[in-house]
Amino acid sequence: MPNLKDLKTRIASVKSTKKITSAMKMVAASKLRRAQELAESSRVYSESLSFILSSLSGGSKDNSDLPEVLVGRSNPKVSLLIINSSDRGLCGGFNSSLFRSAIAWIEEKKSKGIEVKIMPIGKKASAFYKRSEQEIIESFEDINSNDRQLEVSENVKNKISELFESQAVDEVSILYNKFVSAIAQEPTFKSLIPLEEPNSVENSEESSNATFEFEPDKNELLEYLIPRNFMTQVYGSILESSAAEHAARMTSMDNATRNAGDMIESLTMTYNRTRQAVITKELIEIISGAEAV
Amino acid sequence: MINLKVVSPQKVIFEKEVEMAVLPGAEGDFAAMVNHSPFISSLRPGQMAIMSNNKVEESFFVSGGLVMLKEKVCEVLVDQIEPLSEINNSNFQQSKTYQELEGNELALNTFEQVVNTPSYK
Repeated sequence: MPNLKDLKTRIASVKSTKKITSAMKMVAASKLRRAQELAESSRVYSESLSFILSSLSGGSKDNSDLPEVLVGRSNPKVSLLIINSSDRGLCGGFNSSLFRSAIAWIEEKKSKGIEVKIMPIGKKASAFYKRSEQEIIESFEDINSNDRQLEVSENVKNKISELFESQAVDEVSILYNKFVSAIAQEPTFKSLIPLEEPNSVENSEESSNATFEFEPDKNELLEYLIPRNFMTQVYGSILESSAAEHAARMTSMDNATRNAGDMIESLTMTYNRTRQAVITKELIEIISGAEAV
Repeated sequence: MINLKVVSPQKVIFEKEVEMAVLPGAEGDFAAMVNHSPFISSLRPGQMAIMSNNKVEESFFVSGGLVMLKEKVCEVLVDQIEPLSEINNSNFQQSKTYQELEGNELALNTFEQVVNTPSYK
């Protein structure tokens, strides 16, 4: 029979766990709102930028005059994967589903004879890849404020340009959790080199309608634009991933709170039954003692 | 009137109807007005001025960026922007923009120049 005192401490500890998880849920919910707003407001810039980029590059069907950094090298040997994880845990399957898709992606690249290097963003990814055999180029941690998010995107951008120019990598992709809804996140890959045009058909139609004049000439503009675009893409995905992280934490903490509630209920039930049993036992002892006299 | 939309990587800074906006294009200042031919240009550090009736209504320092000009819309993608209404010679070095541009000599010198002797006032 379970001990009454043990049950009591057990209930108390589950209760305090429940308090913590429900507080975390509330914090995540308010952070989610802020992260969503940030992601939303940064979208205007990145959309305009991709529009300009596609009207610069989309004009000619022939890709040969476009810079390598836009269209990619024809025979890629080394691929860089930027993985956008969270800094903290307690967010359900957020990071593990990310790593699962990363592993599948890396396997696929390897089967094509392409070597993969990793650039983790967030403590969880860098901890995960430190234990693996993948080569880490540089990791970025502590992405907790908006200023820091911008700074990291800037650094990542510089690193990408440097690596590509020195021929250390031929392709660059970024992996992040896309914020689908408050209860769903989806690991998503985006290719930066060569540049992926999300709705190229739509864009090229639009851009051919308006023929822009360019100043300075196309190539100079592209030289300015491409690094800008890396930075916005990376920044956008960091923001998206942070919104997804808070959403994941919110749902998982909601579940944890509910589970703690169920546990308290069943523990309280056992506690009461045990208490009753103890009382009954004592009564029987007293009665049978009295009868014996 | 042309719809002027100023956007930074973080957010839309403002969006409004203006008569004319003068922008520091990479190869010289230009004025954005309604029915301008479609035009894309990069920006050099300099002064951006919103004008009406040949008078400057509002004035800004921009550290660089891009402009996309369409018939009725002028979209300015800026790196850093600072309204000049409350900035003067004595306090411009304390502004956030100034600190963020640290190390970028060209932009900082232009900032000082725009504060002291704006081309449009």
